[in-house]
Amino acid sequence: MLTLPHRPMRVAAATALTLIIAVLIAAVLWAILNAATDASGGSRVDIAHLLRMTALQAGLTMVLSLLVGTALAWALNRLRFAGRDLVVGLFAAAIVTPGMVVAFGLLSIWGRNGWINQASEVLFGIGFESPAYGLSGILLAHVILDGAFAGRILLARLDAIPQSRLKMGQSLGLSAWQRFALIDWPALRGSLPGLGAIIFLLAFTSFPIVLLLGGGPANQTLEVAIYTAVRLDFDLVGAVRLALTQIGVCSLVILLASAFTPVPSALSRSTQPRWRDSAPVRVLQWAVLVLGAIGFALPLLSVLYDGLTSGLLRVLGQAGFWRATGTSIIIGASSALLTLALALMLALGRSAAYRQGARVMLGIPAFAYLAVPAVVLSLGFFLLVRTTGVPVGTAAPVVVVIANSLLSLPFAIATLGPPLDAIIRTRGKLIRSLGLSGWTQFISIEYPLLGRDIGLMLALAFCFSLGDLGVIALFGTQDFQTLPLMMYRALGSYKSNDAAAIAALLLIFTIVAFVGLPRLIERISHASRR
Amino acid sequence: MLRADDLVFAHPGQEEPYHFSLEAQPGEVTAISGASGSGKSTLLDLLAGFIAPVSGMLTLDGEDLLSLPPEARPVSLLLQADNLFEHLSAEENAALGLPRGTPKPTGQQLVAQALAEVGLAGFDTKQAANLSGGQKQRVALARTLLRDRPVLLLDEPFSALDDETRRTTRELVGALTRRHNWHTVLVSHHADDIAALASAHYRIVAGRLERV
Repeated sequence: MLTLPHRPMRVAAATALTLIIAVLIAAVLWAILNAATDASGGSRVDIAHLLRMTALQAGLTMVLSLLVGTALAWALNRLRFAGRDLVVGLFAAAIVTPGMVVAFGLLSIWGRNGWINQASEVLFGIGFESPAYGLSGILLAHVILDGAFAGRILLARLDAIPQSRLKMGQSLGLSAWQRFALIDWPALRGSLPGLGAIIFLLAFTSFPIVLLLGGGPANQTLEVAIYTAVRLDFDLVGAVRLALTQIGVCSLVILLASAFTPVPSALSRSTQPRWRDSAPVRVLQWAVLVLGAIGFALPLLSVLYDGLTSGLLRVLGQAGFWRATGTSIIIGASSALLTLALALMLALGRSAAYRQGARVMLGIPAFAYLAVPAVVLSLGFFLLVRTTGVPVGTAAPVVVVIANSLLSLPFAIATLGPPLDAIIRTRGKLIRSLGLSGWTQFISIEYPLLGRDIGLMLALAFCFSLGDLGVIALFGTQDFQTLPLMMYRALGSYKSNDAAAIAALLLIFTIVAFVGLPRLIERISHASRR
Repeated sequence: MLRADDLVFAHPGQEEPYHFSLEAQPGEVTAISGASGSGKSTLLDLLAGFIAPVSGMLTLDGEDLLSLPPEARPVSLLLQADNLFEHLSAEENAALGLPRGTPKPTGQQLVAQALAEVGLAGFDTKQAANLSGGQKQRVALARTLLRDRPVLLLDEPFSALDDETRRTTRELVGALTRRHNWHTVLVSHHADDIAALASAHYRIVAGRLERV
């Protein structure tokens, strides 16, 4: 592989980083296993029930999200209308929308005092059992987020279908069904297993949605049960057993998922020729799209409306709110920058590695979080901090930043890795023959080409951290809290107007960061070359 | 003189290895032709150092080249396409050929001279993506001038150009080769390119170079 530029420092740095992350994860696992060995006495947790419940909701979420995502992608791929890009952008934002905000929005629409129940009582004089709690509520919230996420990913597959294939199909006069079966389905089916595995893992490790909408022990999942065991029941033995179960199942799913085609992260615009379906099919496509857009946007609009019209001024007047906002922003920015450094080091090292074995090894840290999810990671850090005697308050900010960075790492590497690999694949020979230094290669070639991807990655990492509840839930104190934790505490003390205002502001911060950061970084990366 | 002496190489699964021997004189274009898949690009990869032969010798004026990695070889490359980085300007692309540590004012002056020599004076700030195929090849030639390496390897460099641009770019390559005394090795399957440029012509037949 002499065609690759010789970059031993990049490979060495990435290898060192991989080892550091491996040692960190090993220390966390050791702390958990150590606690399991040391702990004496029994525990009341019913692992079999929790496992069954978690697997059931994750499995149902996966199937429903893939169905919804396929339908949305199909409709969006066919329809052209003003504002289409906005709708596509809305679905793309699903991945960063805080689960707490969606759960809160669902309650405000479907809850006992939600819009629909109130309208039903006014119009028909009857109320009904709220579907926003329990398994139905969890599924609804998950499908809103993961269905939109799946729709955006699958739309990219449909938009990438070669023009020649579409022209041939059009000239053959294929019906809408034939077009889907012969042209769309072959393009989609390769992505479904990998995408399904990601959605299964996201649902399996979901924390805030289950915490808010679970409605009691019957619908608890492993993550929430770990949190309950540590923070409410003080059942460390149970928490450790649950954590080990969680790690085992997640690792198994990752092992199975690694055999599937990776999910593409590049989301380009469609340049396909117009091929309109018949009028009845277009009506169906519009119906799918409108239902999907309403299903996704309505809870978010409801959050904004409730938040901005009820307790906003009261919340803005609280010193605690500004402290939590400051903490959220500092932790979000620190996590995003740490994620950028980690992802760049790993992706640059991986793209420079000659051997396939080294490339596989340098890809492993991306899976660290998926195998050891937020609450489990927090529990491990929590036990580790206790073992080392460091005051929890002192360690908390550092732990939260590290844990949030590991949480974003898979998405960061999936964003930066493919473009870096593509640069080396297409221009590696030229770069090597020109004898460019590693620094010139990065500053002149890789950084300007990565500008938007770096912005997208920073936005993802910042938003993940901003909306995180899983990590902060174990480490948060009265003096150290972020916006999601403050919102959760407001809900717990029945200050629903405060919670609504915080949810609305959290959503606004997320949208601003997700839309603004990629554009800002792209502009900076271009300006720096002038 | 650039001299390859029985460079032996086989791709994985290839039963009969290539055996390449050639001589290329300074200030001349040496052409290589052959059928598709005959090994023309493999020969250029061997000369540039992207692949290593099993045995044989490669020297320039008696100095061994095989021990040198691609970036240290006295070689510049010009391919059919993808010679430039599209997000950089003509000036920035050409400047990648400057020796490391060249002071900025000197570098700007040298780049402007090189672009003028290939007929692109005034194109400095134009982005590579907005240049025509012929202009892109000229920018790559300007970069080659700045790299100042005595061997120029050309892999079908005129294939993507229209007839008129092809003729003028070809003439420029010939003129620069003579002016800078380059050992230019041209891989092409176009007889008119070879006839117009080459002083020596080899054809690859059954994995070996035959002088035409």
